[in-house]
Amino acid sequence: LSLSATQSRRLFAWALLMVGVVPHLGAAETPFAEQIDRIIDAAHRRDGLQGAKLADDAEFLRRVYLDLAGVVPTQKQAREFFEDSAEGKREKLIDRLLAAPTFSLQMARVFDAMLVERRVATIPSYDFKPAEWQDWLATAFRENMSWDRLSAAMLQSDGTSDTGAAAARFYLVRDVEPHLLARDIGRLFLGKDLQCAQCHDDPRIKTYLQADYYGLYAFVSRLKHFRDDKQKMNFVTEKAAGDVSFTSAFSGEMGKTNPLLPGGEMIADPTLVKGKEYQVKPEKGQMGIPTYSRRLQLARQLPRKQTIGFSRNITNRLWDQMLGRGLVHPLDMHHPDNPPSHPELLDRLSQRFEATGYDIRGLLREIALTRAYQRSSRLPEGADPKRPPAARDFVVAALRPLTPEQLGWSVMQVTGRLSSRIERFDRKLREAAEKKPEKNPEKASAKTPQTGPPPIDSDAPAGPDERNWQAHRQAYRELATELSGLFTVFSRLPGQPDNGFQPSVDQALFLLNSEQMVKFTGDFPLLDRLTPLADKPDDLVSGLYLSILARLPADEERREVAGLLAGTKTVEERRAVIRRIIWGLLVSAEFRLNH
Amino acid sequence: VQGQGQPQRHEPAGKCRDVQHVSRRGLLRSTLGGAVGAAIGGRTVFEAEAAAAAVPPPKKLLLLFLSGGASQLETFDPKPDSKYGGPFRPIATSIPGIQIGELLPHTATILDRLAVIRSVNTGETSHFRGHYLLQSGRKVPGYPVLGSVMARLLERPGDELPGYVTMRRHHPQAYTDVGDAGFLGPRYEGVMIIDGKPPANIARPDAIDAVTVKTRDHIRRLTNRRFLQRRVPRSIQSYSDSYHKADALMRRREVFDLERESAADRARYGDHHFGRNCLLARRLLEAGVHCVKVAHHDWDAHFENFHWQRQRCLEFDRTFVTLLDDFRDRGLLDETLVVIMGEMGRTPRINYYGGRDHWGDAWSMAFAGCGIKPGVVLGKTNALGTEVVDGAVDAGDLFHTIMAAMGLDPKGNYQVGGRDNPIADPAMSAIREVLA
Repeated sequence: LSLSATQSRRLFAWALLMVGVVPHLGAAETPFAEQIDRIIDAAHRRDGLQGAKLADDAEFLRRVYLDLAGVVPTQKQAREFFEDSAEGKREKLIDRLLAAPTFSLQMARVFDAMLVERRVATIPSYDFKPAEWQDWLATAFRENMSWDRLSAAMLQSDGTSDTGAAAARFYLVRDVEPHLLARDIGRLFLGKDLQCAQCHDDPRIKTYLQADYYGLYAFVSRLKHFRDDKQKMNFVTEKAAGDVSFTSAFSGEMGKTNPLLPGGEMIADPTLVKGKEYQVKPEKGQMGIPTYSRRLQLARQLPRKQTIGFSRNITNRLWDQMLGRGLVHPLDMHHPDNPPSHPELLDRLSQRFEATGYDIRGLLREIALTRAYQRSSRLPEGADPKRPPAARDFVVAALRPLTPEQLGWSVMQVTGRLSSRIERFDRKLREAAEKKPEKNPEKASAKTPQTGPPPIDSDAPAGPDERNWQAHRQAYRELATELSGLFTVFSRLPGQPDNGFQPSVDQALFLLNSEQMVKFTGDFPLLDRLTPLADKPDDLVSGLYLSILARLPADEERREVAGLLAGTKTVEERRAVIRRIIWGLLVSAEFRLNH
Repeated sequence: VQGQGQPQRHEPAGKCRDVQHVSRRGLLRSTLGGAVGAAIGGRTVFEAEAAAAAVPPPKKLLLLFLSGGASQLETFDPKPDSKYGGPFRPIATSIPGIQIGELLPHTATILDRLAVIRSVNTGETSHFRGHYLLQSGRKVPGYPVLGSVMARLLERPGDELPGYVTMRRHHPQAYTDVGDAGFLGPRYEGVMIIDGKPPANIARPDAIDAVTVKTRDHIRRLTNRRFLQRRVPRSIQSYSDSYHKADALMRRREVFDLERESAADRARYGDHHFGRNCLLARRLLEAGVHCVKVAHHDWDAHFENFHWQRQRCLEFDRTFVTLLDDFRDRGLLDETLVVIMGEMGRTPRINYYGGRDHWGDAWSMAFAGCGIKPGVVLGKTNALGTEVVDGAVDAGDLFHTIMAAMGLDPKGNYQVGGRDNPIADPAMSAIREVLA
C-alpha cells in the first residue's frame, strides 16, 4: 500500500487528532476524582503496594468534618449520618459541609495558618487585628473567591481601601520587611524557598538563583510600613525609586535587577516625568503613593497561569491540607531534584484548578471525593505496623495532629458549648428579625469588625442563610477568647513551616492540669444530657462515645464504663464519673489526631 | 535601595578565608557527616568508633548571658591608658602578664581556668538581632538557638527532664525571647523559668482529685491501646510519650524548687536573681537537663555606665566564681561547658551621660569547662579598643567552637521535615586556639 503525499498528510493529521482528542474525550467521561485515584492506583500496582480499605462511616465522618468544618461532628450529626442508608451519602455530606458557614470559617483558619504562619508583627498594634484579617478571609471564602483574586487582593492591598483593607496584613504582619516578604512570597505563592539564595546561588538547589531571589525582592524593596498616628491606622507605603543590586558571598559576582518572577522576564519601570513620580507626595504624616507601583505590578503579574509555580504551589498545598502530605514535599521545595511523588497527578490537579478559574472549594470537593482521601487510617490486613508504608505513597490515611483550632473548637463542640452558643445567637437574631422585618440584611454584613462584634439586636439579618452565618461568626468569635490559652500552647513556632506532629510536655501538662481544662470539663451541656441516662447505661455510653469520638463504643469500652458507673449512688457521683471519663477521652490519641 | 541588597558579611574582618572554598567543602562533608551524626549524636564515625568502648556521658551547656551587653572595657579588655578607659583600674590575674578590670577581683584569681576572647566582631548593635545572632550563630532568621540545638542533639531515649531550660526575669525589655527552636519545632523549645517560678501547669491543681487522675489515665490508655491496633504507631506513641514525660516532670518538679538547696548554698550564690538562677542551673544540670541558660540583666548602660557596670559585676563576679568552684568540686565541670557572653559589647567612647552605647565591632567573651583550653587569652583590640587588630571572630565561629567543645560535629546536618540544614553556618569555623 502506498499513499500519496496528500493522503499521508491527511492520515498524519487524523492520527494527531486522535492522539490529542481521544484520551481527552475518555477523560471527560471519567469523574475527576476517579482520574485522581487511577493515577494513585497505577503507582500502587507499579510498586507492588496495596492501598488500605475505604474508611468506615465513623472514620470518614470525623475526618471530613475536621477538614471541611474545622470541628468534630456533634452526636446528632454522627447518628444521622450512620443511620442514613441512602446511596451517595458521603458526596451529599461533602456538599453540605462545603456550603455551610463552618467551611468559610475553617478555610479562614487554614489560610491564616498558611499565609501568616503564626507570626505576630514586632509591634502588634502596627498591624490589622487578627480578627479583622480572619474576617476578611472568611468573607472571601463565603463568596468562594478564587485563588488568583485572593492572591491579588493580598499583594495589592496597602490598607487604604474600604473593603478588603485587612488583606494588607500579609505585608504588615511581616513588618513590611522586604527580605522577609521576598522569601515568603517565593515560599507561599510559588512553592520555592529561596532563602539561601539571598546571599549566593543555592549550592544545593541548582535552580534557586540569587538573581531570582532579588527579582522577587525588587517587587517589594520599595515598600515600607506607614503608621498614621492620628487615626492609629497602619498602611503599606511605597517609594517611587530605589534600585536593587546584590553580590554573591561565594563568588563576589555582582548583579543589578528589576522586578522579575523566577523564570520570567524582567519588568522595566516606565520612564516618569521628573516631578511626577508621585500621585501623592510623601510628607510628614502623609503617606506617599507613587505614580508607578511595583507592588501593583506584582499583584497583576504573579497570580497568573504563566507564572511558574503559581498553580502547582497552591494545588500541592491543598492536597497536603487534605491528605497530610504534599505531592511535592516539603511544600516550599519545588525544584527539578525534588519531583512530585505523582508527577502526572500534580499536573492534572493544577490544570483542573486553572480550568475551573482557581476554584478552591471545587478542588477540595474533588479531593474529598477520592478513594485516596477516603481510605482508612488502619493498615491493610497483614501489614506490619512496625514497617509503615511511606507517606508519599498514600497507601493509608495519614494520622494528622489536630491544628490548635481544630483541637480547641472540638473541645467546645463535644462538651456542647459551641452548638448551644450558636443556637443562642441564632435565636436572638431570629427574634430581632421578627421584631424589625424592615431592616436591610446587607447592613449587618457591611459592618466592620474593628470594634468587636456588631451588636446583635440591631440590624439583624433577615434570610435564614445570612442569619445562620452571623450566628456562627459571632458564636465562634465570642468563644475564641476562652480558647486563646489553648491556641498559644498548641501553636507551632512563628514563621516556621509545619514540622509534623511534635507533641510536647507543656501541651500534655496543659491538657492535664490547666485552669482552662478544669473549666472546660466543669459543667457543660453534654454532662446535663448524659447524667439522666444513668439507668440506661447502654444509651449513656453510646452518647458518650458518639459525642467525644464520633463513633460507637466497642464492647470492651461499654463494659469498662458500665463498671466505672456501677458503684455510683447519687447524681453528683455519676456526674463526677462521667466527667472523668470525658476528660480521659479528650486526652486520648484518638481525639488528638485526625485519622 | 542602595545597600539593602547587600548580602550579609560572611567573613569576619581581619581573618583571611576563602569563603567559597570553605563552604563548598564544608557542605560536601556535612552531608556525609549528617547522616552518620543523626544516628550517633553528632560525632564523626571515627570518633564514635573510638568512643564505642566507653561511651562518655553527654556534655552539658551552661550559658550565662550578659543581657544588654557588658562593657568589655570594664571586664575582660581594660584600656587603662586610653581616653576611653574610664575610671576603673586593671588588676593582675592568675595568668602572668594578663590584666582584667578591677570590678572582677574574684574572676581575676581564676582566670587561668578560663579561655577569654577579646576579639569578637559581630558588627551587630541591635539587642534583638544580637540575642538571636549570638545564640544561633546566624543572621538569617529561623535557626534554633543554642539551648534548642542542645536539646535536639543531646536528646536521649530515657530523658525525663526537658533538654533546655531558660531563665530570665519578667520584664518587657528582657530581650531574650528572640529565638527559639526555629525549624526544630516546639519539642525543643526551652522550658521557661520566669522570676524563678516553675513551668506552667507542672503541679496538679486542688480541683483535680486523685480519683480523677486515675480514671482519666485509665480511659486514656484503654482508648489508645484500641486505637493503636493496625495503625502506624509513630504519632500515637509519641503522643503517649508526652504524657509519660509530663508525669515524670510532675513527679520531679522539685528540681525547680530552690528551697531544696541548703541555706548555706543559697547564701554563697547570692540572694539576687542571678545568684538564685545559677544555683537552680546547678540543680537542673545535675538532674539531667542538657542546657541551661541564665540571663543576667541590665548591662545596657547608656547612662552612668560605670555605676551600672560596677553593680552588675558585683553580682556576677562572686556568683560566677562560686559556681565554677562548685562545678569543679562536684565533677560537673569536666562535662559542662560554661559560656559567658552577651549580645554585644559597649562603645569605647563615653557619651554625654557617662554611658557607653551599643558596640558590636570589638568586644569580649569567655569559656570555661569541658573541651576548652584554659588559660588562653585570644585576640587583640587596638589601643582605644575600637577595633579588633588580631584574631577577629564572628558569632558563627563562636557557635562552631561551642559545638566542638561539646564534642558535637558542627559540620553535621539536621534532617527536619525532609530537608537538610547545616547545624552551623558552613561559612564559619571553630576557633582552634581555645579548644583543648
